Amino acid sequence: MTTFASLVERFYALTANWGLPWIVPTLVVMTIVAAVILGYIAVACMFLVWWERKISAHIQVRFGPMRVGGWHGWAQSIADGVKLLLKEDVIPAGADKVVFVLAPMVVFAASVAAYVAIPWAPGLIVRDLNIGILYMISISSLVVVGIIMAGWSSNNKYSVLGAMRSAAQAVSYEVPLVLSLLGPVMLAGTMRMGKLVEAQSGVWFGLLPKWFVFPQIVAFLVYFTCSLAECNRLPFDIPEAESELVAGFHVEYSGMRFAIFFLAEYANMFVVAAIATTLFLGGWKGPWVALPGLPAEVAHGLFGLFWFLVKCYFLIFVMMWLRWTLARLRVDQLMDFAWKVLLPIAFANLILTGLVLVLGKQVLLYVLGVALLLLIAVALTARGVRQGSAHVAGKAVRAQKA
Amino acid sequence: MTPEALLEQLKQTFGDAVTESEVKGVEVRLTVRSEASWEVCRFLRDGGFEYLNCVSGVDWMSHLEVVYDLSSLRHPNKVHLRVPVDRANPVIRTVTDLWRGANWHERECYDLFGVRFEGHPDLRRILLPEDWVGFPLRKDYTDERMVPYTDYGMEEKLVRAEAEKGAPRAVRPAAPRAPAAPPPAQEP
Amino acid sequence: MERERIIPMGTTAVMERTGETMEEMYVNMGPQHPSTHGVLRLLLKLDGEYITDCIPYIGYLHRCHEKIGENRNYTQVIPYTDRLDYLASMAMNFGYVLTIERLLGVKVPERAEYMRVILAELQRIASHLIWLGTFGLDLGNFTIFMYCFREREMVLDLFESVSGQRLNYNFYRIGGMPMDFPDTWVGECRAFLDWFEPRLPEYDAILTDNILFQKRVQGIGVLAPALAVDYGLSGPMIRACGIRWDLRRNDPYSIYDRFEFEVPVFDTCDVWARYMVRRREMAESARIVRQALAQLPAGDIMAKMPKNIKPPAGQIYCRTESPRGELGFYVVSDGSVKPYRYKVRSPAYVNLSALPEMLKGCLVADLVAVLGSVDIVLGEVDR
Repeated sequence: MTTFASLVERFYALTANWGLPWIVPTLVVMTIVAAVILGYIAVACMFLVWWERKISAHIQVRFGPMRVGGWHGWAQSIADGVKLLLKEDVIPAGADKVVFVLAPMVVFAASVAAYVAIPWAPGLIVRDLNIGILYMISISSLVVVGIIMAGWSSNNKYSVLGAMRSAAQAVSYEVPLVLSLLGPVMLAGTMRMGKLVEAQSGVWFGLLPKWFVFPQIVAFLVYFTCSLAECNRLPFDIPEAESELVAGFHVEYSGMRFAIFFLAEYANMFVVAAIATTLFLGGWKGPWVALPGLPAEVAHGLFGLFWFLVKCYFLIFVMMWLRWTLARLRVDQLMDFAWKVLLPIAFANLILTGLVLVLGKQVLLYVLGVALLLLIAVALTARGVRQGSAHVAGKAVRAQKA
Repeated sequence: MTPEALLEQLKQTFGDAVTESEVKGVEVRLTVRSEASWEVCRFLRDGGFEYLNCVSGVDWMSHLEVVYDLSSLRHPNKVHLRVPVDRANPVIRTVTDLWRGANWHERECYDLFGVRFEGHPDLRRILLPEDWVGFPLRKDYTDERMVPYTDYGMEEKLVRAEAEKGAPRAVRPAAPRAPAAPPPAQEP
Repeated sequence: MERERIIPMGTTAVMERTGETMEEMYVNMGPQHPSTHGVLRLLLKLDGEYITDCIPYIGYLHRCHEKIGENRNYTQVIPYTDRLDYLASMAMNFGYVLTIERLLGVKVPERAEYMRVILAELQRIASHLIWLGTFGLDLGNFTIFMYCFREREMVLDLFESVSGQRLNYNFYRIGGMPMDFPDTWVGECRAFLDWFEPRLPEYDAILTDNILFQKRVQGIGVLAPALAVDYGLSGPMIRACGIRWDLRRNDPYSIYDRFEFEVPVFDTCDVWARYMVRRREMAESARIVRQALAQLPAGDIMAKMPKNIKPPAGQIYCRTESPRGELGFYVVSDGSVKPYRYKVRSPAYVNLSALPEMLKGCLVADLVAVLGSVDIVLGEVDR
């Protein structure tokens, strides 16, 4: 089977024959990959910005950008990008210059690095690491380091507040996020992204695809909620809450540096959507047909890419939809929600998955039975307590009357 | 309680301190010496006027006047309380300890009229910048940016029109045209 | 040019200068801030995210409205009142015109009274719509903002076809109204109400029934009823404290005693209560407009007035219920063509003075909600 990895191997073998030192072909491959990924991110982010503006506009009974480029203002993002490039780059007096300059780079690098392990299509993955999912989670949570750098170095109190909120939020939401991802990982028995997708092949009852979203629906919902918080999207956008902190951590940034923050946010959105697609929605799995004039492998790859992108963009659409419908949470409610609601649910899901894997499916019956018994017991006790207290209260009233 | 009864009660309690008084509809209007103003206010508040509508100032050139408008949420009576204060040294006791809402009203009165409220917890300028000189709502305050009233000969015209109609009327001279405001000083 | 060396934040030098400690920090919210609804400046003392103290600074929009009023004749003041509460200019006109008419003792023709009530209540709807939209914006819900503006736009269209203006109408005159409604106007107004009333459940669906929204507004910014009276709060602010106090009912002016309407009251005293009160008031205003349109008589719209308005010497304090609360005008006349003393008791000014009281123990995020619930218009606060 032709995969990206095998192509790279063939290229290395070829160059070894020419007698070039090993560093040259490695650099060539790295440059090509980096260029393709950066190009994709730039184009995709511009599309996402335009798309988000259109979605928000149609939710809000208006049109959104309509002028630039003709059809529905498709070139609006390009014009905005050019404007941001040409803007003056302001570094506030009193800012910590080195950290201030580095911060957007850190944020962007962290978001981009996660693209290495995204399985785009069968065989099309830059590096199918054996700890792929772990790598993606850990590298993309480096974003918060950049945010704290930006907040602190700006010498602005609103930025500091935003950075502190971001740190608290990231730390809290990482935990249920990772726990929720462990469910599919346990089902598949691997952390390799390619294998995770392969583990979801086949159908149940001849109809329902064997995606992990069905057995792990709880984990999927927990993950999706946490991923909103990871991307600082509404209702979890408190680090940059516009009406409270003006713009939070990036309030002092302008021009290209601001654009990079913006780019990183949308790049990050795609990463979390890609993780959800890979682990829960069957990755690039989907119906495909052989295309005339193309090798079957290529056709399969193209269809895989298509399905993968469709699933990702659907999730991103849901994220935007939520953003333009909901109100923002408060910082303490946000923490409560992570630690008191999401974390217990994620743990319960994890334990249940483990029990099912070890003891077989019949354990579900036992769990259901125990839950039912517990429920009845709780209901009865509550009723008893209420009756008891009513009894006591009645006694007191009677005593008073007497 | 009818407004008349209230006024009677006030007169009995405070005697000479009430210098002028009048009942107009449901409104009791009275003028009180500044020494007794706080006591009168407290009496009124305890007597049901728990709602302070407004504290305003008036400059009568001979003296300043602090005006309290009080009402109640339970009965329709209102009180319009006027307290003259000395113009050169306008001091009056604050009523912020009776109504918290008086705080900003009194600050505004201090800001625009220069009336000092004794015992006010935070008597600073509120609407004007802290370094402003003078009290703009006093009648003798001038500012070169101020546009004074001019009726563009309107009154004269009206009088003439009426005279032509044959209804003679004492001609009041039109207000003198204000000299054109000097152009604002150029910033060097 | 040698620039003054700027001391980085968090150093002891800054602390000495500002009195900050390691635990507390001062933040200037405004005059330029998206949620202060204008040029309001709040000096916040923060302990982390908790507000320990808040000092409002106002006056950035001060133009000494009262001094201007003393230098204009009685009619010339009307356009200036438009600029007080620029989101409810009709209500401002109404209050001022009513004051002078009471001073003069003029009886306004029936039709003019009805026109006044219709326009003032439509203005109340428009003003509350702006409030609802910006309140949603403060809490992070952008969509409600556009929805509210869609309906407000229709009200503005109605006002435009009556007065020719969309924001500062200058439409009430001492003694009546300058122009009658255009021929098709009553039908258009009915059509608007038919469109508007079913929209209210839509707002409910997006805000009122949303659990995130409820969590944000319930139980914060609490002000005890006794304190609310002590501060002299008025309008929706005092009705949200469980006190049934509406000048249209309790001190009826114009022809408000002829209409059937509820005075919505909520007794939880928090931001949620203020939200619910305003939300219901919109429906009640629509009800009043419907009744007034049904009863609208034909006839004159202007009383017989002298060319030069010279009220007899005297003084008056007259209060009306503007969308934000008790709007009082205190006018002293010395018998000349211009007021001797002209004072505005603006509702938002008084309501805002209770803000530090409401903010005790709140978070920064709550500040935005509480300030939004006060519904200030800086044009009227600063005058």
